[in-house]
Amino acid sequence: MALRLYDNLKHSLRFWLLRNLPACQQTVETISQSMERSLTLGERLKLRLHLWICVWCQWYLEHLQVIRETSPAHTDKATDLSTGPTLSNEARERIRRRLTNQN
Amino acid sequence: MNEPQAEFLNESPDPGRWLDDHGDYLFKYAVFRLRDNNAAEDAIQETFLAALKAYHQFEGRGSERTWLVGILKHKIVDHFRRAVREAPIGEESDEGPNHQEFFERPDQWQGHWNPNYAPTDWHATPVELIERSDFWKVFNDCLSPLPQRTASAFTLREVDGLKSEEICEILSIKVNNLWVMLHRARLHLRNCLEVNWFKREE
Repeated sequence: MALRLYDNLKHSLRFWLLRNLPACQQTVETISQSMERSLTLGERLKLRLHLWICVWCQWYLEHLQVIRETSPAHTDKATDLSTGPTLSNEARERIRRRLTNQN
Repeated sequence: MNEPQAEFLNESPDPGRWLDDHGDYLFKYAVFRLRDNNAAEDAIQETFLAALKAYHQFEGRGSERTWLVGILKHKIVDHFRRAVREAPIGEESDEGPNHQEFFERPDQWQGHWNPNYAPTDWHATPVELIERSDFWKVFNDCLSPLPQRTASAFTLREVDGLKSEEICEILSIKVNNLWVMLHRARLHLRNCLEVNWFKREE
């Protein structure tokens, strides 16, 4: 009985929060900004509460952190792999001529 | 131990060999950032010319490629500054897709995630991820549809790790503008990686 009451309360609280907090669309923008500046106290509180009840936005935050951790490796790991044209023979020769004239 | 290095020091610079050894690498580095073959060719020619002039500062310390990339970075930033001067803000105000559809719902929860686009658990391990060449292929493809300035903002921020103020100065934008661009880029890239990499893995 007590347990059911607790579940009902939790459900109502969650519903109320989802109704009254900024929606996901606005929350993901705040999440992105939290990686650029310190949020105000109000923003932090709303974000914490939203994340408490919304696993989708929790994952969104986690994914932005994955992007932040992996991206710097692009230079070492991905530059050689990037598709698209390599330096054309024509450009290579043009640059070579330009460099020899300098010597 | 000292001898080979001493020998190397006496060598005069050999730009022809630089071109053979590092030309394609530098070109790819520049094309990823500039997304324009001609601009990339110009940037690496300027890099080699600057390297010739500054060769006495290098003197075989550290890796030749790292040294050249360091010069190229400056040339790319110069290019961004020139491009901004030639096409001031307003003419290219497109900050990238806002992906309204991610948050469209037919029910009372408009503005919350549409389940078709909502994030899922990635189970991602960044240290393993960066070793996967096919992951980087998807990563590059996902960035390519973004407008140039938004892609540049993202690359300067997340790949090159520059501070907001530096990026605003280079791209000549206001910080609020930068935040919108970064948000759009992340929203787009996150979804694209999920669809084309993390869901495919399952």
